[in-house]
Amino acid sequence: MSEKLTQRKAWDIVLDKLTKRSLWMLHYCTGCGAIELPPTMTSRYDMERFGISAMVTPRQADILLITGYLSVKTLQRVILTYEQMQAPKYVIGFGSCTINGGMYWNSYATIKSLDQYLPVELYIAGCMPRPEAIISSFTELIDRIGRGEANSWQDYYDNYDFYKKNQEHVFGEINTYVDIKDDKVKFGI
Amino acid sequence: MINEVELMQQFQKEFPESQARIKRERRIEVLLPAGRLYEFAVRIQKKLNFQHLSAISCVDWIDDGEYELVYHFWSYELNVLVDAKIRIDRENPHFETITDLWQPAKFFERDIHEMFGVVFEGNEDLERYILTEWKGPPPMRKDFVSRDFAHRFYHYKDYEPQWLTEMQQHSSGGQDE
Repeated sequence: MSEKLTQRKAWDIVLDKLTKRSLWMLHYCTGCGAIELPPTMTSRYDMERFGISAMVTPRQADILLITGYLSVKTLQRVILTYEQMQAPKYVIGFGSCTINGGMYWNSYATIKSLDQYLPVELYIAGCMPRPEAIISSFTELIDRIGRGEANSWQDYYDNYDFYKKNQEHVFGEINTYVDIKDDKVKFGI
Repeated sequence: MINEVELMQQFQKEFPESQARIKRERRIEVLLPAGRLYEFAVRIQKKLNFQHLSAISCVDWIDDGEYELVYHFWSYELNVLVDAKIRIDRENPHFETITDLWQPAKFFERDIHEMFGVVFEGNEDLERYILTEWKGPPPMRKDFVSRDFAHRFYHYKDYEPQWLTEMQQHSSGGQDE
């Protein structure tokens, strides 16, 4: 990673400064965590003052906020969504369920650790994390992007076999309509 | 309009091998032999006009080696809920379908097939319903241990952070005081 940082072009640095103040968030609200987002979005905590706003489509989103547990079935939809997003893209795991299963630690239907299936940029611990914690993670993400350190999404292109293996272990093969290895070569990621 | 006492007496007369009792107001429980359930359902739907099949539920009596299927029938005219209960063998669970009487039974039976492995003969669509990628045994059976499956199948890690072990070493856990 450090090699990549030193070789970054001047344009990338400018781009980072601009990107960090204009982030679009796609929130994948499968679990109970979605209830903390309305106060974060609206006037009480107002995440738009950081330049973050909600986006309706994955193709134009930068942040994928995954709130709460993911079952095997919803994980497929998350992966379809994630692969449609354009790089750079940042996954934020929200709540204990994405870290180690949380209160669903012994459930047969939910996955336990999100970073086995997708490269996670940030985790927000807690059950539930309050809007202050979400805002704190957003500012942390903004700082990382500004420093050019928010590069975890590249791991999906570099170690695609690892993620693919784990994904196939839980739900078998699905067609995501995106060829990650081809994209890596084509776009020089 | 007949009340639940008359209804119960009717059941006892027409199905002498069944045991009917009033659980509480407007709730009747009928224990039936498995072979008579379809007949009972026809009777209750056509003659007594119970239009609504609220649900079919399944109970795993692992010590008895039996599944109990509970059919909840509701009448909008009498405002009475009838729970018809039957027992089937747990090892090779088979039962006849009632989809030709109530269409919604398709989904209830499909769900029970997925969660308990009961095969309903005559129900053509017993495909996976919720657990579309499921590889293990039917998960609602009592002998299925969810925790062991989760530890084996998913990436599970114990949570023993440094700060917790340090805290445990330094403190006596309140035993000295």
